[in-house]
Amino acid sequence: MARTMIRRFAFGAIAVLGVAALAFLLEFVVPGDPARAIAPRAQSAAVLENIRIQLHLNRPLVVQFVDYFGELFRGNLGVSYVQRQSVTSLILPRLATTGWLALAGVIAEVIIGGTLGILSTLYSRVRAVVAAVNLVFLSLPQFVVGLLLLLVFGFRLHMAPVTGGAGLAEIVLPALTLGLVGAPWYAQIVADQMADSLASPYVRTAVAKGLPDRYILWRHVLRNVLSPAITMIGMDLGAYLSGVVTVEVVFGWPGIGLLAVDSLQNLDRPVVMGTVIVGAVAVVFFNLVADVLRMYVDPRTREDPA
Amino acid sequence: MSAAPAAATSVPGAGGKTAALEVENLRVCYAGLPAVDEVSLRVEPGQVAALIGETSSGKSSLALGVARLLPASAAVTGRVAIAGADLGEMPAREARRLRAGLVGYIAQDAMAALNPVLPVGSQIAELFRVHRGMSRAEASEQGVRELARVRINRPERVARAYPHQLSGGMRQRVMIAMAMALSPPLLIADEPTTALDVSTQAEILGLVGELQTQTGTGILWITHDMGVVAELADWVAVMYAGRIVEQGLAGDVFDHPQHPYTEGLLRTRRDLRTGRPGAPLYQIEGSPPGLSAGRRGCAFAPRCPRRSAVCDEHRPELISVGEPAGTKLPAAQSPETRGLVACHHPEVAS
Repeated sequence: MARTMIRRFAFGAIAVLGVAALAFLLEFVVPGDPARAIAPRAQSAAVLENIRIQLHLNRPLVVQFVDYFGELFRGNLGVSYVQRQSVTSLILPRLATTGWLALAGVIAEVIIGGTLGILSTLYSRVRAVVAAVNLVFLSLPQFVVGLLLLLVFGFRLHMAPVTGGAGLAEIVLPALTLGLVGAPWYAQIVADQMADSLASPYVRTAVAKGLPDRYILWRHVLRNVLSPAITMIGMDLGAYLSGVVTVEVVFGWPGIGLLAVDSLQNLDRPVVMGTVIVGAVAVVFFNLVADVLRMYVDPRTREDPA
Repeated sequence: MSAAPAAATSVPGAGGKTAALEVENLRVCYAGLPAVDEVSLRVEPGQVAALIGETSSGKSSLALGVARLLPASAAVTGRVAIAGADLGEMPAREARRLRAGLVGYIAQDAMAALNPVLPVGSQIAELFRVHRGMSRAEASEQGVRELARVRINRPERVARAYPHQLSGGMRQRVMIAMAMALSPPLLIADEPTTALDVSTQAEILGLVGELQTQTGTGILWITHDMGVVAELADWVAVMYAGRIVEQGLAGDVFDHPQHPYTEGLLRTRRDLRTGRPGAPLYQIEGSPPGLSAGRRGCAFAPRCPRRSAVCDEHRPELISVGEPAGTKLPAAQSPETRGLVACHHPEVAS
């Protein structure tokens, strides 16, 4: 188990570095001059050149690359071109803000999706309805669901704020958006796993043992559904933390996704790099956490492969 | 539903003693096609009745039908009395409450039949919590004792293990412990040794034999392995295409098989044991028929060496061995010693 974890950790670190390197190279493929973005009205070539020298943009790409990763290994993500502030100090509060939304979103999709999945397995009459609902939300993109919710609950019913922000009242609609769009996946996986489990010989054994239906459901069936659900929760948390861009833009949620979009527009390379790296770390981290949790609920995954 | 008139006949010679299992005219249909048809059999307390048949002969459907463990899509009719009680007749709640105390079911694949994410000890212990109202601690202690009863070394340790951490033989022991935990009068074993290697098979057979002497449980042992039957069974029923084609005391059936199918099964085994190297092994030509409705004649006829015109026209009734063919007798439930055979051309006992 320990060996598996160490190996997973090493792979994770390699993945993060790979993502960082790729992002770095991509940023130089994107056309645009950060110097112009910083000083758009300064016509003088000398001023622009001065900025480039200040930011070391005049040096060969290889040197910049080595410099950047040298700093990265020391835990330094650099300084924002635009805000003149360390990238770390820009990202950390945003990360927390996005973290809340990611958590609320995952809770929403697990509750909605899990309930739909369980109901559609247990009650055949609900099945068709759930399948239809699933199809609708699977085919709607996040921004459409978000805008619809905003329109109905924000502008029409005045039940939710429409001005953006990161408070408790503001979190409801974006979290619900993530929940509704993500729920079909959970409903599907829960329904599939439950159907498998209910048809399994071990559930037949449980029936043969004369255990009450509800007891069988909770102890024998749902325990076996947990494992794939946990994997999916881990993947979602990681993905959401790396930036729920559309949802944050639609609802004006000042998270890391919004920061990434702004920085991209400003050609603020260090901040873009920072958000990419933090996102990659989040994905790797939550996948690891999910693996550990799965080992807890499914003993079969505990042993090291021989 | 289609209670054949034979079912109404009272049990001959059943004096007082309640059978561990009494099956009358059991029929199991999938999508209207019978997998088990008009099967009647009886298992006395302390007796091992072996049910022999090839794959798809309906023996597992029979086992699950008797235990009332088939999915709702299977239509089960007929009477099944386990120690006098019919689980199918009771309200679901009552059946659930009584089931584990009436019948223990041992599946073929213990790996699949045990829950992969729960320690095996707790899977036994939950029986005592649910049915005996024991506390968690009492139940888990009892679970350990049950594991010790099936000769598992260091039962405390094994109780905490998960199914995948145990060997095949150990898992099957756990299944047996689970099936016998509430000391049911009937145990149904559905090919429990098929997936095990030969030495483990022998251990399991020995264990079951021993437990049976202790408890006096009646056992319905389902198998395709004549060797297992020879070692364990008092009574043998041979199944073909969903029907019992021959039954009787194990010794009688082995020494004087009446039905050509039984004879074929025995001969394949004899060849395996004593055949000279290089000599071709006997095999029954063809393969068993699939499910079908309204078959005319004898199901075994296409593969039968004794086939004649009548075999294709009329299905032979199950009648007492030695009776002239065509005699219509009730499919007797407990012909204490006399065998039954369903064949137009039974082997004439020499």
